[in-house]
Amino acid sequence: MSILTQLDGAMNLLHKVLDLRTTNQQVIASNIANADTPGYAPASFQFEKQLRNAVSEVDIRPVTNQPGHFAITPDSINQIKGEITRSPDKTRIGDQNGVKLDQEMINLSENQILYEAAMTMLNKKLALLKYSANDGK
Amino acid sequence: MDLFTTFDIASSAMRAQRTRLNTISSNLANVETTSTPEGGPYKRKSTYFQTIPMAFEDRLQNSIASKALQGVKVKEILEDDSEPQKVYNPSHPDADEFGYISLPNISVLKEIVDMSSAVRSYEANTTVIKSAKRMALKALEIGR
Repeated sequence: MSILTQLDGAMNLLHKVLDLRTTNQQVIASNIANADTPGYAPASFQFEKQLRNAVSEVDIRPVTNQPGHFAITPDSINQIKGEITRSPDKTRIGDQNGVKLDQEMINLSENQILYEAAMTMLNKKLALLKYSANDGK
Repeated sequence: MDLFTTFDIASSAMRAQRTRLNTISSNLANVETTSTPEGGPYKRKSTYFQTIPMAFEDRLQNSIASKALQGVKVKEILEDDSEPQKVYNPSHPDADEFGYISLPNISVLKEIVDMSSAVRSYEANTTVIKSAKRMALKALEIGR
């Protein structure tokens, strides 16, 4: 963890969000690339729930104190990995490709806008830091 | 896993779609071809796509998303072995003893529809590249 993220928790969060959005973009790109591949099941990358769990102040968390236990809520923002779910074609018509190209294009632009939103917030944070480092000048 | 993986994925798809378009243009060019070096009329060719795993080094690290990252390639170009169309034309040099010639098993309508589909898929992938480029350029502006 760099000194900047230690100074500001939100910076750490924004860093993680940018990472996850980049991965999401790659997953969407993979779906669009395979829009004509027979039998391809599109993947979707979900991390919002894990992120919410990590950010929200929950007092009650399941504890892992046995070797057989596994954590069901991530402890910190840095541990969020997201999850992949595949949705195969259910119509059984044609080449059995499950990609909905229009939906993927919407996901692509949504992801891009949210990436840019996180980027803008990060820039504002850095501008604030710069402002205070320059003694408010 | 970096920003350029997106470029790799989208470019693999663009390459595959271009091969598909070449095949379609070959079919359309040979819609009336009655003789080929292999003998017989031209046979309709179609591309067959297959996924390819991307980001091999990430695969070794066993990251969750890396399994979902798949590009695409043309696995093979198949020949359509369906029956050729028979047309009565006794004066044609390729006519058989009954005066029929064998025209390729190509439907122009199908090829045009396939062509539009290939073009649209190609365009979708250029949009992905544009989006990835915009994100990469935005990342260069951190702290400006």
